[in-house]
Amino acid sequence: MSDVRLDVSRQPGPRWVLPKGLRRVPEGLDELATEHLILNMGPQHPSTHGVLHVLLELDGEEVQAAEASVGYLHRGIEKLAESRKYHQVGTLLDRADYLAGLHTETAFALAVERLAGIEVPRKADWIRSLTMELCRLASHVVWAGTFGMDAGAMAPFLYIMRDREALLDILEAITGGRMMFNYVRPGGVFADLPAGVDTKIRAFLDVFDTYLEETDALLGGNEIFQARIKNVGVISRDTAMAFGLAGGTMRASGIDFDVRRDMPYAAYTELDFDVPVASGGDCWDRYVVRMEEMRQSVRMIRQLVDGMPEGDFTAKVPKVLRPPAGEMYAAVESPRGELGIHLVSDGGPTPYRMRLRSPAYYNLAITDEAIAGSLIADAVVIIGSLDIVLGEIDR
Amino acid sequence: MPASAHETLLRDAAVVHTSETELLGTVVRLDCVNVRPALGALAAGGFDQLVDMFATDTGEAIELTYHLRAFSGFETLFVKCTVEYDGELVSVWDIYPAALFPEREAAELLGMSLTGHPNPKRLLTVEGTEPLLRKSVAIRGAQEVQFS
Repeated sequence: MSDVRLDVSRQPGPRWVLPKGLRRVPEGLDELATEHLILNMGPQHPSTHGVLHVLLELDGEEVQAAEASVGYLHRGIEKLAESRKYHQVGTLLDRADYLAGLHTETAFALAVERLAGIEVPRKADWIRSLTMELCRLASHVVWAGTFGMDAGAMAPFLYIMRDREALLDILEAITGGRMMFNYVRPGGVFADLPAGVDTKIRAFLDVFDTYLEETDALLGGNEIFQARIKNVGVISRDTAMAFGLAGGTMRASGIDFDVRRDMPYAAYTELDFDVPVASGGDCWDRYVVRMEEMRQSVRMIRQLVDGMPEGDFTAKVPKVLRPPAGEMYAAVESPRGELGIHLVSDGGPTPYRMRLRSPAYYNLAITDEAIAGSLIADAVVIIGSLDIVLGEIDR
Repeated sequence: MPASAHETLLRDAAVVHTSETELLGTVVRLDCVNVRPALGALAAGGFDQLVDMFATDTGEAIELTYHLRAFSGFETLFVKCTVEYDGELVSVWDIYPAALFPEREAAELLGMSLTGHPNPKRLLTVEGTEPLLRKSVAIRGAQEVQFS
């Protein structure tokens, strides 16, 4: 692995010069010329959320430079999609972002539908929104739990796993799968909602309201947790914009953008919801934004269950889809941010090129920048606050 | 931001280009040597974010796509240019730092050399891996197994 070594020069300071305003390591920080230590954090490390490998150049406890090394989970999903028929790509995309398979599937389905001119029934749109919001909750609770663990809070993780279990049960009742759904297909969804699932969802939401506030009080109300994450890993608005950040990470830095509201898809034009935005850009703001996103998701799920229309759950779609030659970009707001599929078709039965614009990929790229200058313990918290899923980054 | 803001910006920067409205959106095609001046002008003129950057093997050459977005007015722009096989991918990281990762990925997966990048290493695959996204590279599992 000779290609993943940091440049161990005795000259302290950043290895490359970032544009003005982006640099965080003060020049001439280390004039004592103490020996720097290269530390491999990961790929097997509990707080790297998967197989992320971060090389840290340390001066004592302080991180001088960091470099994220990814690719341990690279399966070539973009290449594999080129030899799959349009109906078969969903199974690959479930495995890209394994916490939000429904979002990735929907992004692909939207791209295909827009390219092929398929009209999706209204009910399919609503089912898509419903399952996606349930999936967002299931993903966000994992983030809240693991982020708490990164900051040293063990208990919330056990509580959120109880909630996630209930969410996965609901998703299993609807889609037949707990994580690898393959439920959203071009044209609609695979199956109609099962009878009685609305009662199940309502019963869950009634207790989840309390559970969510309980988790928030347990985690966000904890002074130690607050002290660990406030003013840590501050990402300014300009940096967030320059690095192409997405989702909650971007909104915590003051950029008011949500694909659901600004580039609507599925049933989101018919729903009433708020987009939480914070301006501080530190780990605490990212925490607050995501917790509020969960409350908004609960609000949306209630509207979706109450207003679920009657009708078909899928359009009539040919067995072998051949969208006309052309290109299309479709994006959804996954739990991690703007997840886009850029589809290139040559008129054949398989995609000519499928590009997955992964939000966590862009969010991760900022670690080198955000960690440098912090302490090792803070580096763990900063990586946790970005909500990365390596399956989606490596594809 | 008016819909043709990019036209004015590119004209002021004296960048030769063609601009078309396709199903995808507004697509600007230009020569690869003009990518840096074009993106520099667009970044300064309000296209705040590089949403995505990727490369496609068209069968004759490699096509680079830069997906830009202006947040005021949510204008989207796709800037495309073509590089020869084994050609050079010139980094635009100093204009859009978001390109740091995807440029490394595009270079390794399509077999281009990356210049002007602060860390031009491979991102996803190990040394010696074929440029996977080239159409000439076949997936090994796609060959059917013959049973006798």
